[in-house]
Amino acid sequence: MAVDMTATAAPPTIKPAAQVQGLSFAYGARTAPSAGSPSGASESAKRTVQALDGLTLDVPSGAVFGLLGPNGSGKSTLLSLLVGLRQPSAGEVRVLGQPPSAAIRARIGLLFQETSLDPLMTLRETLWLHGRLYGLAGHTLRTTIAQLLESVGLADRADSLVSTLSGGMKRRLELARVLLPSPQLILLDEPTTGLDPDAEAALWARLHEANQTGATIILATNKVHEADKHCQQVAFIHRGRLAAQGTPAELKAGLKRDAVWVEWPDLPPTLADEIAAWEGVGKLTWAHPTLHVTVDAASAFVPRLFQAAEDGIRAIRIRESTLEDAYFDIVGASLSDQRGAV
Amino acid sequence: MSALAACGALLQRDVRAVLRSRSQLYSTILLPLMLLAILGTGVSQGLDPTLVRDGDYATFLVPGMIAMAVLFSSTFSSASYYRDRDSGLMRVMLASPHSPRVILLGKALAGVSIGGLQALAVLAVAAAIPAIDLEWQHGVIPGIALAAIGIALLALLLNGFAQVVASRIRTMQGFHLVMNLVLFPLLFFSGAFFPLEDLPAWLKVLATANPLSYGVDLLRVAIYDDGSGYFGLPLDFAVLTALAFALFAWGLQRHPGYHW
Repeated sequence: MAVDMTATAAPPTIKPAAQVQGLSFAYGARTAPSAGSPSGASESAKRTVQALDGLTLDVPSGAVFGLLGPNGSGKSTLLSLLVGLRQPSAGEVRVLGQPPSAAIRARIGLLFQETSLDPLMTLRETLWLHGRLYGLAGHTLRTTIAQLLESVGLADRADSLVSTLSGGMKRRLELARVLLPSPQLILLDEPTTGLDPDAEAALWARLHEANQTGATIILATNKVHEADKHCQQVAFIHRGRLAAQGTPAELKAGLKRDAVWVEWPDLPPTLADEIAAWEGVGKLTWAHPTLHVTVDAASAFVPRLFQAAEDGIRAIRIRESTLEDAYFDIVGASLSDQRGAV
Repeated sequence: MSALAACGALLQRDVRAVLRSRSQLYSTILLPLMLLAILGTGVSQGLDPTLVRDGDYATFLVPGMIAMAVLFSSTFSSASYYRDRDSGLMRVMLASPHSPRVILLGKALAGVSIGGLQALAVLAVAAAIPAIDLEWQHGVIPGIALAAIGIALLALLLNGFAQVVASRIRTMQGFHLVMNLVLFPLLFFSGAFFPLEDLPAWLKVLATANPLSYGVDLLRVAIYDDGSGYFGLPLDFAVLTALAFALFAWGLQRHPGYHW
């Protein structure tokens, strides 16, 4: 499989938009205070959660780059470190050729996973505030706001309160806000969560326009189809580490056509070895209780599997192979695996 | 599930929430008790209409009401930190090309400006009421200027304090309760409601230790009194200026907290 496991996929001639080297970060979280403590002082205990653990990654300039991993794998933490809002406990970060700083943030657009809008501001006021924070003013700012509202289809709502917008409209407004200062690097944290397919397509159309004008896009997501469809390169992140990096085609290169997910808690190891040797069977991965395998033809594989398993199989899922299967093959865990989530 | 069981579950949940929110639990009990001690004593022993100029208690109250306007405005302005945090706008602002202190400074200056303008509006309305007889011993324009300086210093002080509290209290309800617990007593023994001169010694000590007293005293000298005030203008200015800038600067040191 043509997968670069050493995180140096970017051709040496292309300057990286973002580079992280041996990056680590741990959250020191406090437990909730217990009720009724007579002292009035909250009883708290510290625990540390390792969000990133020696991550090394290069994001080529001008790319649409996907960070694919389950919730809690460290994707959002990485974005916050790229922006410089958190400091790593170890390792180095460079964004647009420099360490993160306030000046660098002026060249970055950031779309948070959750809605980040003041419901009591109008759309125009929202963009105006953002433009002023990014040093825009006067006629230029007014014109840019009008153009952006037009381009995201919200021009007729410019003076409406944000609270009157639908979820999809709010996302479009946030996209306009991200694009307002013409960022060179756009960071997207689960940007299409909760959007319907039309809204998702419209959002991506506008993002691709920005990419074509030179902006690098880093997408943190656990949506396989989104990374597969829109990203030129994808990095698999698992428990704060880079598991693999490459183009979607490279990452999927070793997969057979059909993916079969089998819930089989008591799979005998010898039988697993036997199945792996069947003709038309690709890499077989066992992560209790799931057996994952890609095959040339599920229609031939599945009846044979049931015959061999007798009554040991509890559930089975069949579909065309995707990046999720590549992820499972490489990482040995599903994208919905949240063990170790932060 | 019966309606009774549902109500019981909701009751249990809300009681737990109050028990976990210690600021709410204690301030709800402490505030009435403190007011009972302070306001009760003040009214019983200090409030005699003949002790204020011409027995005109309404006019006497004006400086205190101006201070109260600044106090409430500062509290409400600082509560916007919670609105910005909960709406997510705070993280957008913190991700902008500015340090958290710049963001805090902008918001704090907004609080100071709003509080100052609201207090001046109270002064303007009070001055326009025929029954209110302000003295303006230094003249109207110098008096307004003096009052404006006092209001600005009070607003700086109270916004700084509110920012310090807001950075430590997780919920807006808790913030309001702590502010009420601290600020209402400060207001009541600041000389806003009764003259300090005839209070018992223990209340005089508390009034002297109360920063708000110096603001009320300054405002009273500016617009109401024909004397030099309880503390005197130099002390009023010295205490207010030192505390206002110290608390405002302290408030700006408090990181609003980053939530992604």
